[in-house]
Amino acid sequence: MRAAFSEALVRLAKADRSVVLLTGDHGYALFDDFRKACTAQYINAGIAEQNMVGMAAGLARVGFRPFVYGLSAFIPVRVVEQIKLDIAHDKLPVILIGDGAGFVYSHLGTSHQSTEDIACTRAIPHLSVYSPADRFEVAACMELAYQAKGPVYLRMGKSDQGDVHMAAPQAQVGRLLEVKPGQTGDVAFIATGSLVRTAMEIAANSYPGAAVWSAPFIKPIDGQQVAAICAQSRAVIVLEEHSVLGGLGSVITEIAAEFAPVRILRVGVQDRFSHHCGSYEYLLQEHGLDRAAIEQQIRHFLQ
Amino acid sequence: MISQIKSFDSKILRKTVLDMAYAGSTVHIGCAFSIIELLAVLYRNHLRYPGNDPLAAGRDYFVLSKGHGVMAQYACMRELGWLKDEAFSAYFADGSDLKGLSDSRIPGLEVTSGSLGHGFSVGVGMAMGVKLRGTDQKTFALVGDGEINEGPIWEGAMFAAHHELKNFMVIVDENGFQAMGSTQEVLKLGSIQAKFESFGFEAITIDGHDEAAIDAAVAQLWASGAKAPKALIAKTVKGKGVPFMEHNNMWHYTRLNAETYAQALAAVAATAS
Repeated sequence: MRAAFSEALVRLAKADRSVVLLTGDHGYALFDDFRKACTAQYINAGIAEQNMVGMAAGLARVGFRPFVYGLSAFIPVRVVEQIKLDIAHDKLPVILIGDGAGFVYSHLGTSHQSTEDIACTRAIPHLSVYSPADRFEVAACMELAYQAKGPVYLRMGKSDQGDVHMAAPQAQVGRLLEVKPGQTGDVAFIATGSLVRTAMEIAANSYPGAAVWSAPFIKPIDGQQVAAICAQSRAVIVLEEHSVLGGLGSVITEIAAEFAPVRILRVGVQDRFSHHCGSYEYLLQEHGLDRAAIEQQIRHFLQ
Repeated sequence: MISQIKSFDSKILRKTVLDMAYAGSTVHIGCAFSIIELLAVLYRNHLRYPGNDPLAAGRDYFVLSKGHGVMAQYACMRELGWLKDEAFSAYFADGSDLKGLSDSRIPGLEVTSGSLGHGFSVGVGMAMGVKLRGTDQKTFALVGDGEINEGPIWEGAMFAAHHELKNFMVIVDENGFQAMGSTQEVLKLGSIQAKFESFGFEAITIDGHDEAAIDAAVAQLWASGAKAPKALIAKTVKGKGVPFMEHNNMWHYTRLNAETYAQALAAVAATAS
């Protein structure tokens, strides 16, 4: 997934020399190819994220196409006001990449973990929020973010979960992608990022009639499509490596409440910080987001 | 050089500010009065707007990072013909466009500011972009002395010096006051010139109400062969031009009434041009 991100970035930057990459002193090996291929388009802004985002706005104002890279704990969360005021207010075409979202930095603790970034960004007007699940979705999100010519936050979480698509899907901004077809009247899973794969495994093992949808676009999102999924399902399970407050679970619930009421289980982080450190798998367990805990939560919900 | 459409006479600019502040019953008069001469000199002699177009592609960039002084900029934009008199008489009317702080949706205002410490970084980004593109456009960012409490100012200062953005000039409106008191009381700044010099800027301190001195200092800084970004420290008086407003931080917040409006107009009219 990270290789696909790097490839997409290099491809866009070679094709359009107004593309510039700003990094807040992060991405050590990730940008080796970019730095070789597009030396003059690479700016390490130092450990100074507020200034970096302001500068990205300035670069966009004079005609550049900035990509701003940081860990999602910092980009966007540390710089929400710069994103709101300097970038989103004037719809500037700045693409913000928040890497390592969720519990990727499982050993490092709360400073590097990010489970509130979607909630922080989706209320900002004009700002789109993308959350790809695999290398195909990353490539599509990068291309669509570039074409959008407006502000986009692209959330990259755990990147080595494997593919959820067999091949590059026909991605359209706002559209959910079906990764497993299901039957009308059964349960539907809607997941984003790292938990799409988990949703597929749970469905394959325990809910053979359930549809599984990946949501690479949190905002904008096709409300009619979401309402249709809700209307034809007896219950909807939303999964995300993000707080249950303000993330994809909230998005789906808001749409359903208005257009297609259905019981919805929001699987995510329960409004708490991590207490301990350990492997990524351990952190998921601590937050009840490992497969066994999620399955138990679903069984309880569906009883 | 822009064509000299109007004189940018400081008395006219101050009168415009008073008229609009009275019409809109607004605050921040002192914040606008400290930068009148700075803006007058920049618009008259330094900022280039091809075709007098505030959105001209090859223009210089003037970033009002201290958005609280925006009425001074509106007054200059009136001189340029970019804003009509009706916008001033209807200041703060329901549904009107000119806000109490800078909003970049108004052509001529490059950034949306008021939350402090933003415009400086945007200006550094513009200057970086201009350098990458290789044109001769200049970028000015005007900040308040209170505003430089903000951390991103110093993040941007490091960046501008490291990348030798000699096309970037910060102008510090050192009027000695911020919202809750004097800068000396709130957070001591020491020598602002020395601070910027220590970050690698080439800096000059001048009387920010002496138009000849401002003009000469801006020209001198641009003429320098050094690769350093520039800092112009302008010693100013908050509320300058109206004796009862000068050095009186109340005029950060106070609104004009019929009496103080008339007194202020008379005071401005009585000052020497």
